[in-house]
Amino acid sequence: MFDVAGIAVEIGQALLSLALAPALVGFIRWLKARMQNRRGAPIWQPYAELRKLFRKDMVVSRQASWVFHLAPFVIFGSTIVVSLLVPVLVTPLPFNAVADLFAVVYLLLLGTAFLALAGLDTGSAFGGMGSSREMTIAAISEPAIALAILSLALAAGSTNLGEIAARTIARPSSALSPGHVMAFVALFIVMLAETGRLPVDNPATHLELTMIHEAMILEYSGPYLALVEWASWLKLFVFAMLAGNLFVPWGLATSLAPAALAVAFATTLVKLVVIAAGVAVLETRVAKLRLFRVPELLAVSFVLGLLAVASSFSLR
Amino acid sequence: MQGVFSQVAVMGSSGMLLCAMIVLWRRGVAAYISAFMWQSVVLGALTAAVGYFGNDPQLYVVAVLLFGIKAVAIPKLLRRVSQRFTAGRESAPYVNTATSLVVSGLLVLLAYAAARPLEAVADAPTRAGMPLAMGLLFISLFIIISRKLAITQVIGFLMLENAIALLAVLATYGVPLIVELGVFLDALMGFLVMQIFLYDIHGTFSTTDVDVLERLKH
Repeated sequence: MFDVAGIAVEIGQALLSLALAPALVGFIRWLKARMQNRRGAPIWQPYAELRKLFRKDMVVSRQASWVFHLAPFVIFGSTIVVSLLVPVLVTPLPFNAVADLFAVVYLLLLGTAFLALAGLDTGSAFGGMGSSREMTIAAISEPAIALAILSLALAAGSTNLGEIAARTIARPSSALSPGHVMAFVALFIVMLAETGRLPVDNPATHLELTMIHEAMILEYSGPYLALVEWASWLKLFVFAMLAGNLFVPWGLATSLAPAALAVAFATTLVKLVVIAAGVAVLETRVAKLRLFRVPELLAVSFVLGLLAVASSFSLR
Repeated sequence: MQGVFSQVAVMGSSGMLLCAMIVLWRRGVAAYISAFMWQSVVLGALTAAVGYFGNDPQLYVVAVLLFGIKAVAIPKLLRRVSQRFTAGRESAPYVNTATSLVVSGLLVLLAYAAARPLEAVADAPTRAGMPLAMGLLFISLFIIISRKLAITQVIGFLMLENAIALLAVLATYGVPLIVELGVFLDALMGFLVMQIFLYDIHGTFSTTDVDVLERLKH
């Protein structure tokens, strides 16, 4: 089913993800500011940041090797590939055959691994620290996300993302099954950890003792920094879409009819707003965890994933 | 209808299980008390739901009693006790947090295995929640043996009580009202006795850490 319209929608969907990702981050920042009684930057501020960074010159450390130059492209590229695989508007996508749970999880991990390598590459103290922390978190969060989606896969009888979404649309009652709900919570925790949001990493500061993501990208500047930042926003977007469209897939178009696509676009926006509001409220309410408490939080996520798998297995 | 009923039963049981896990994850006694309170609220709501779907008006009375005693009265008493003792934190449990969480996951898997014959003989639509109730039972026992503060152990005991009530409601749509009343009275009396013990332990050692009871040997 390699038809032209399907491919066009597929590419349009990836471009849409790229275009909406900065707005999602801008919206979260704005909402957070509002909740903390600040006025906050406008929602399109991240676009302005990107434009500024792409125009600037780059400063690259003399110690940097080819890894440092390759990493931004790998990170950006792998995240775009993931955004091609995750259902954003339509569910049976032309690339559905490879839109496998494991492909998505490990493509995301590929980006994380290269980011950590880039952090180590220049030999700065902060970069190494950030990389080691990021790897600690990734090592525990990756099995948790795999387990969370696996419980959905067990219920749907397939590890294919499009198939999972289609099955949940077909059987609405399964969306409230305990396995589903626990898997959602597990995925939400992993989303916060993987995208460097608050209980795990504070996206708003550059405090030496606590930063993880910021520590790794400290050496980047100009267009490279823009690519890395854009990729990290896109990653948040992809996770939001995984949470929104795998667990609550209603509104997702099952055909390429323009009306269905319009409905899908509207519901996707609503889901993004809801998830962004959830993240913003959470980030306003909770303080950052001590680093040694983070594995415990991820253990919660892991156990929830395990329980989700157990309950979908017994209910099958 | 049956599908919704079974869905509600499983949701409620999972909610109660998650409340028990909060005790393993958080450190502050205040958080434990609210976790217990919410667990009791869910138990009350689930009992009312079983009464509605199973056409058993008696269960409404049980639900109201549950709500009044376990979700309002006992948490209030617990808060008063914990305010009396200054050290309201479980700083170093016998089993650390991450391990406890993994153990609790394994305990629930064990409960799934153990409840398999139970599920096979039961034909109530609520049977899917039974393994979760068993899991809650195991986790409550685990809280009692792995935590150091006497007040946490009391909360673990109360959660054990909730687990048994949940199992009764899921398996047989609740026991007769008179038995239920007796159980409530027992729970309340047990709690009051434990409260006296807590005060005594605190009065003697000025902490409720049960580790210090070792000193009684000398």
